[in-house]
Amino acid sequence: MQLSDRVTGAVLVGLGGLAAWSGSRLPGVPGQDVGPAAFPMLIGGGLMLCGAMIALGIGHSFEVPEEEEAVPGRSRFYGLRVLVPPALLLFYMFAAEPLGFLLTAFLMVLVGAFALGARARLAVPLALVAPLIVHLAFYKLLRVPLPEGLLGAPW
Amino acid sequence: MSELYEAIRLVAAPDVVIAIVASAIYGLVVGSMPGLSATMATALLVPVTFWLSPIAAIATIITASAMAIFSGDIPGCLLRIPGTPASAAYTDEAYAMTRKGQAEMALGAGLWFSAIGGIVGTLSLVLMAPLLAEMALSFSTYEYFWLAFLGLMCATLVARSSPIKAIASMLLGLLIACIGMENPAGTPRFTFGMTDLLGGIEPIPALVGVFAVSEVMRAMASAEPPKLPKRKFGSILANQWMLTKKYQKPMWRGNFIGIIIGVLPGAGADMAAWVSYAMSKKFSKTPELFGTGHPEGLVEAGASNNASLASGWVPALLFGIPGDTITAIAIGVLYMKGLNPGPTLFTENARSMYALYLIFIIANIIMIPLGIVMIRMASTVLRAPRASIMPVILLLCAVGAYATGNNLFSVGLVGAFGILGFVMERNGYPVAALVLGIVMGSMVETNFVTSLIKSDGDVLPFFERPVSAVLAAMTIGALLWPLGVWIWNRTGGARLQPRGAAE
Amino acid sequence: MHDLTRRGLLGAATALAAPLLAGPLAGPALAQPKWPARPVQMLCPWAAGGGTDAVLRIVAILLEKELGQPFNVVNRTGGSGVVGHAAIAAAPADGYTLGIITAEICMLHWQGLTEVTYKNYTPLGLMNNDPPGIQVNINSPYKDVKQLADAIKASTPGKFKASGTGQGGIWHLALAGWLGAMGLKADHVRWVPSNGAAPAMQDLAANGLDFTTCSVPEARAMLDAGRARSLAVMAPERLSAFPNIPTLKEAMGVDYNSGAWRGIAGPPGLPAAVVSTMDAALGKVFASQEYKDFLNARGFGMVYADAAGFGEHMAKADVSLGDAMKAAGLAKV
Repeated sequence: MQLSDRVTGAVLVGLGGLAAWSGSRLPGVPGQDVGPAAFPMLIGGGLMLCGAMIALGIGHSFEVPEEEEAVPGRSRFYGLRVLVPPALLLFYMFAAEPLGFLLTAFLMVLVGAFALGARARLAVPLALVAPLIVHLAFYKLLRVPLPEGLLGAPW
Repeated sequence: MSELYEAIRLVAAPDVVIAIVASAIYGLVVGSMPGLSATMATALLVPVTFWLSPIAAIATIITASAMAIFSGDIPGCLLRIPGTPASAAYTDEAYAMTRKGQAEMALGAGLWFSAIGGIVGTLSLVLMAPLLAEMALSFSTYEYFWLAFLGLMCATLVARSSPIKAIASMLLGLLIACIGMENPAGTPRFTFGMTDLLGGIEPIPALVGVFAVSEVMRAMASAEPPKLPKRKFGSILANQWMLTKKYQKPMWRGNFIGIIIGVLPGAGADMAAWVSYAMSKKFSKTPELFGTGHPEGLVEAGASNNASLASGWVPALLFGIPGDTITAIAIGVLYMKGLNPGPTLFTENARSMYALYLIFIIANIIMIPLGIVMIRMASTVLRAPRASIMPVILLLCAVGAYATGNNLFSVGLVGAFGILGFVMERNGYPVAALVLGIVMGSMVETNFVTSLIKSDGDVLPFFERPVSAVLAAMTIGALLWPLGVWIWNRTGGARLQPRGAAE
Repeated sequence: MHDLTRRGLLGAATALAAPLLAGPLAGPALAQPKWPARPVQMLCPWAAGGGTDAVLRIVAILLEKELGQPFNVVNRTGGSGVVGHAAIAAAPADGYTLGIITAEICMLHWQGLTEVTYKNYTPLGLMNNDPPGIQVNINSPYKDVKQLADAIKASTPGKFKASGTGQGGIWHLALAGWLGAMGLKADHVRWVPSNGAAPAMQDLAANGLDFTTCSVPEARAMLDAGRARSLAVMAPERLSAFPNIPTLKEAMGVDYNSGAWRGIAGPPGLPAAVVSTMDAALGKVFASQEYKDFLNARGFGMVYADAAGFGEHMAKADVSLGDAMKAAGLAKV
C-alpha cells in the first residue's frame, strides 16, 4: 500500500471536500446561530488545503526516508496477508455470538499463528491455551459477559 | 495530628493493604496488555468497589489507575503498541531505544519518572489544592478553546515526518471526532444511519486499531526481525539517578506542566504527555536526537502524565468535576461510599483525606519494586517467537474493545482503524497525531462553538479575558514560528535551524 | 440487623409462596420452574461509574438479597443510550434479561433516532426521579427565582444564557418547559450546549453563564463549595436531601414539573409470574433502608411507582417531553 504523495494528497482533497459538502447540508439548529455544519466545514477546508500541499510536494523535504523492509516477492497474493488481522477481527465480530467466545478465539489465534508462519506444534497448543486463559481472566475475574455460544467454558 | 494518626490507622487496616497490593498488580497487568487501557482497568473495578469499605474502594481506584498509566508504557516500548493514549506521544521514542538495545533504560525511565511525577503531583494536591482549584475555576470555555488548540499544535511539533502530513493526520482525527451526535448541536453527523455510530468514536478503539492491529498487520508482511542481541536485562534503576541529575530541568518542567494540565478538567494525562514531550523537544539542546532513541523526552513526558493523574483529583474532590475519564469513575465511587466531593470533605472528613494522600504516596512507592518485576516479566516477549505473540495480541484487542461497552461493533471498529493506521504509516502520516485529533476533537469543537454562542458570534471575547489573551498569544506565536523560519530560509537570510518546530 | 433478618425471612416466604399462589391461577404455568432459577442479567445503557449505573447496581444487590439469585449488571453503552435501550427491548422475554431505562427513551424517538418507545417495554418499577433545579453563580444579583424570572421576561430574546447538558437534552427541555409555563418562547433564553452537567456548573462558577437547569444533585458539589446557589426546584414537592430549596410553585406560582427518571423494565411480553415477582421485590427494595440511605447519600430524588404506575408515568412523560421538544423545534417526528 505504498502510494505516492500525489495519490494520498488527492484522496485527502476528496475527503475534505466530501466532509465540507455533506457538513454544509446538515440542518441548522433552531435557536442557535452556530450549527453542526461549522466544524466539519472548517476541517474539510483544512484537509483540502493540506491535501493539495501534499500532492504538490510542499514540506516533503522534512520527511525522514522510510526504511523499507524488503518484502520477499513470492506470489502476487502475498501482500494480501496483511489483511488477515482485520479480517479476523471482522470474523470475531460476527462469529462471537453464534459460535461463542472459546471457538471463535481458537480459530482466530490458530489462523493468526499460521499466517505468521508458525508450525502446528506451536500454533495448536497456543490456540487451545490462550483463549482459555483470556476467558478465565475476563469472564471470572473481570466479569465481562463473553458470549457462550456453542461451547461454554467449564467454569 | 491525631487526624493524621487516624489516617495511618485507616490505611494500615488489613483490607486496605490487601486492596492496594491486589489492585496494584491488577493495574500493572491490565495496563501492560496491548489493547486494554487504564480507563478500562478502572471501569472494570467499579463492581468490585461495591463490596469494599470506603477507604479500600478509593485505594483500588487510585492504585490501579496510577499503575496502569505507567505500565501502558511497557507494550509501547517493547512492541510499539502504546497501552494508553497518554503513552502514544512518546511510543516511537521508547521503541527506538528498544531497537538500540536500551529497553531497560527506557522502561526504567518510564518507571522512575512516573513515580516521581506521581509523588510531586500528590504533594501539589496536599499543599496547593485550594489554589489550584481557584485556577481551574477561572477557566471558561474561551480559555479551554485555546488550551485545546495548543494541545493540537503539539502533534505537529513532535512529528518526525513532514509537518503538513502531521497536520493532515490531526485534521483527519478531528473529522473522525465529528462522527455521532455528541456534538454541541446534538445533531447526528456522518453516522450513515448506523445506530452504533450515534455515540461517536471512542479514542480507545482507534488507539488500539492504529497501533496494535496495524503492528500485527506489518508483522504479516515483513520477515521476522533479527533477534535483539541476547543480553541480560541490566539493572533497571542503575542509570536513572544519572538521568535524574542530567535532565533535572526537563523533569521539573514536566512535573509542573503535568500538575497544571491535570487540574484543568477535560485535558488530563493524555494532553499532559503530548505537551510535555513537545516542550521537551522545543527547549532541548539536542532536538535533532528526538525520535532516535533519546531519553530526554521520556523523562519529561513520563513525569508529566503521572503528575497530572494526581492533580486531576483536585477539581474532582473539591467540586465533583471530573478531570478525565478515570476521575469521572472515581467520583461515582466517592459518592457511592458517602465521601461526597466538596470542601466539607477536607474539613469534616479530614482523616479520609489524609488517608487518600497516603494511598497516593504508597501507590507511587510500591510502583517501583512491582514495576521492576513487571518489566522483567514483560521483557520475555522480546525473546518469544513472533508467531506466538501477535495472534494473542490480536485476541486481546478484540476482547479489550468488547469489554468497555460490551458492544461487538467496537471490535469491527478496531479492525477498520487497523487498516487506516497501516495505510497511513506506510505513507508517512503519523498515526499518533490522528489519535490526538480524536482525543481532543470534542473539546476543541465544544469550546469553540459554545464560546461563539455565549458571545453571540463575536470573536473579541476570545482575546479579552486575561488568561485567554495569554493563551491566544502563545498559540498564534507557535503557529507563526515555523512559517517565519520557512520564509526566512526562502528569502535567503542566514540559514536558521528550524529548531524542533518545523522538523 | 433485626430488620434485615426479618426481611430475609419475608423474602424467602414470598419466594416460596409465589409459585403456589400463581400456580392454580395460571394453569399451564404450573409446569414452569420458579423464576428466577438462574442468574439474571441487568442491562445498563450508560457507562460504569455514572448515576444510572450506580442506581442499577444497588438495586441489583438488593434484588439478589430478595430473590436469592445473582443479578449481574452489564453496561451496554453506545449510540447515546440507543444501543442499550434497544438491547433491553429486544431481549428474550423469559425474564432473564432485564434492565434500567431512563427518561431518554421518551425523547430519542421524537428526534427520529430510534424506533423504540416506552411501549416496547414491560414496566416493572420506577426507582428514582431527579427534578431539575435552577442554579446561579453565588455572586449573581438574583436572590430568588422570581427576580430571575422577571429579569428574563424583561430581557431581549437570547440575552440570557443557560446550560446544563447538550442541545436537546433533558435539562434543555426543562428550560423550554419552564419558559413555556411563563408564557415565553422556548428560545427566549439562549441554550449553551455542554458536555454534561459538570462542565456547565464549572462554567457557571467561572462566570460564563447566567444560570443552569441541571438537577440539584449534579450541582451539589458546587453548592456545597459555596460557588453557586440553587433558587428553585421544578418538582411538586421539596427534595428530602435539599429541604431548603423551594419548589417553583412555592417561589413563583408556576406549576411546572420535570425530571430525569430511572426505572427497571424488561422486554414486552414478560411472563406474568416474572412481572408480579419483580413488582413486589422492587417495592421492597425501594422501601429498604439501604436503598433510602443510598439515594440520600447521592442526593437522588426518592420517587417510586409500581409496575402499573411506572407505565402511566412513562406515558405522561412521553407526551410532556414530546411537547417540550416540539416547542423547542427539536422534534423531527
